[in-house]
Amino acid sequence: MRRTRTGNWRILLVLAAVNVLIMGLLTALSPTFLSYGNLSAVMLRMSELSMLAIAETIVLIAGGFDLTIGAVMALSATVFGTLYVQGLPFALIVALALASGVAVGALNAFLVVALRLQPFIVTLATMSIVRSVVYGLLKGNVLSDLPEGFLNLGYVYVLKIPLLFLVVLLVAVLAIVLLRRTVVGRRIFAVGGNERTAFLSGVHVDRTKYLVYSLSGLISAMAGLMYTARIRAVVPDMGITSPLEVITAVLIGGTAITGGKGSVLGSLLGILAMYLLLNGFNLLGLNPFWQTIILGTILIYVVGQENILRGVRAALHRAKIGRQA
Amino acid sequence: MSGGSASFRKVLQFRELPILVYLAVMIAVFSIAVGGFFSFKNFENISRQISTVGIVSIGMTLIILTGGIDLSVGAILSFAINIGGLGIVAGWPIWIAYPFMLVLGLVLGWLNGFLITRIAVPALIITLGTMNIYRGIIMVITKGRYITPIPKVYEAIGSGYIPFVFLAVILAVFIYVSLNTRFGRNLFAIGGGEQSAVYSGVPVRRYKMIVYTISGVLSALAGMILVGKSAFIQPQAGLGYEMSAIAAVVIGGTSIFGGSGSVLGTFLGSVLMGLILAGLTMLAVNPYWQGLITGVLIILAIALDTVRQLRH
Repeated sequence: MRRTRTGNWRILLVLAAVNVLIMGLLTALSPTFLSYGNLSAVMLRMSELSMLAIAETIVLIAGGFDLTIGAVMALSATVFGTLYVQGLPFALIVALALASGVAVGALNAFLVVALRLQPFIVTLATMSIVRSVVYGLLKGNVLSDLPEGFLNLGYVYVLKIPLLFLVVLLVAVLAIVLLRRTVVGRRIFAVGGNERTAFLSGVHVDRTKYLVYSLSGLISAMAGLMYTARIRAVVPDMGITSPLEVITAVLIGGTAITGGKGSVLGSLLGILAMYLLLNGFNLLGLNPFWQTIILGTILIYVVGQENILRGVRAALHRAKIGRQA
Repeated sequence: MSGGSASFRKVLQFRELPILVYLAVMIAVFSIAVGGFFSFKNFENISRQISTVGIVSIGMTLIILTGGIDLSVGAILSFAINIGGLGIVAGWPIWIAYPFMLVLGLVLGWLNGFLITRIAVPALIITLGTMNIYRGIIMVITKGRYITPIPKVYEAIGSGYIPFVFLAVILAVFIYVSLNTRFGRNLFAIGGGEQSAVYSGVPVRRYKMIVYTISGVLSALAGMILVGKSAFIQPQAGLGYEMSAIAAVVIGGTSIFGGSGSVLGTFLGSVLMGLILAGLTMLAVNPYWQGLITGVLIILAIALDTVRQLRH
């Protein structure tokens, strides 16, 4: 049961071409763009949001929605930071930080599965709850008393590539294998494509949902630790604008909001475009917020492509008939 | 819906019952726990605090009733006052600056409606896109700078009871519109089933456009009141308003799937959230925990809505 992927490949190709185009333009316009220092800085900076994008893609493919990714990122960092101050062993606090993310994911899944609630609103509510817990634990403070060895991970380079970015690549490969090459992955697509059909063909729909939300929590929690290592602090507002940024990039990457369709690679290309634009506007000394204008426009265009083109064609056709008459 | 408008209205009245119970419990608990909670001064404070999000929430209610959603309300609010603010600083008279801001809200809301109805893509995606675009334009034009000083005349709209009077009037208008006009009743029909609404001759497209446009204007108005209260304009104004407004709508008993709910419920939802914030602050509980209570209330509200739908 291989899926037809032609439509998917087209989006990926277009998106890859867009990225290449941006890179070409920036190489021509800015002498520093192609320098090692600049490129590795972009890779480092896009690490956390790339992780969140992978998490969101898995949930969206299964027909779910997860607004808690940014709050979970902050929660895991907070758990890590506050427990470190208590003097617990390092391995234990890392495990607990990741477990906090899985716990939020499982809670989301419980509310969606057992109470049959709508995921957008459920995760809006749990986002508010988790963020509130973060604020409550940190009491508005920034934690910077963190293990030095851990903080240095943000500046470790392997083969001149930032370690954090290699973590992203590893997680991305694992996610792609899971989604494309395993039975579990096929079930995730099946549940998102048509829940009823999936159920009737023997897929454990509920179990699949628990899995995707927990995975999303786990990956977001990893992102929290990565973010902490990169900025060398735990900040209460960490990731507060992430959900909408990430969802924008993921939808641009061809993942359908209705489920059953999407790709991790597309999402990462979406995040890459976002950071390349940001980097480019900064290098060129232009206002970096042009980035959000461009992304918003691309989002509407990509998702509405067929209808927009049909509308334009119809308008052109009418104009032609009008001229002939 | 077969029992005619009398029984229809009875169902609507029942709909606000849970939120009224929450409200009564909260007021009772806080009044006992906190000296000075049940006071004129405190209620005045709360009324001022809830007015801006409250106004935005009413527009959001109309949209959610049709089965849509608008993530760009906060961005529209900010756009109207920041771009309008340039006019203020340039010395425009208030009777030009205010209508200009409202027109900005109207245009952006209309654009949302236009894109949603023409491109036929979920409102969530379109308004996520326009939110990015509107916020980007604000930052590009203002370069992230605050706009100060604002002349004293602009503070009138944000002083004393005036914000709440605006909220109350808008509330009254839209309760009437939603229950007693053909337009209002058709919003329920669109949310209940868009195809059937089309087949029964409801001008679905036009009504959706109107709803998003109204929401845009109300967001701009809320922005004007915000300027009156804070006496400066910041580019990040209205950040997170979309989520607060959706929370108020859902807590107020409106179904996120559209088709059922009420404007009054949303107002009570905003009041409830305002009361909780004020109560926690007076109890010297860290206000950070407010989000936890809001989240729990949202889950309770939608769980209740699901139970209600299962029974039907």
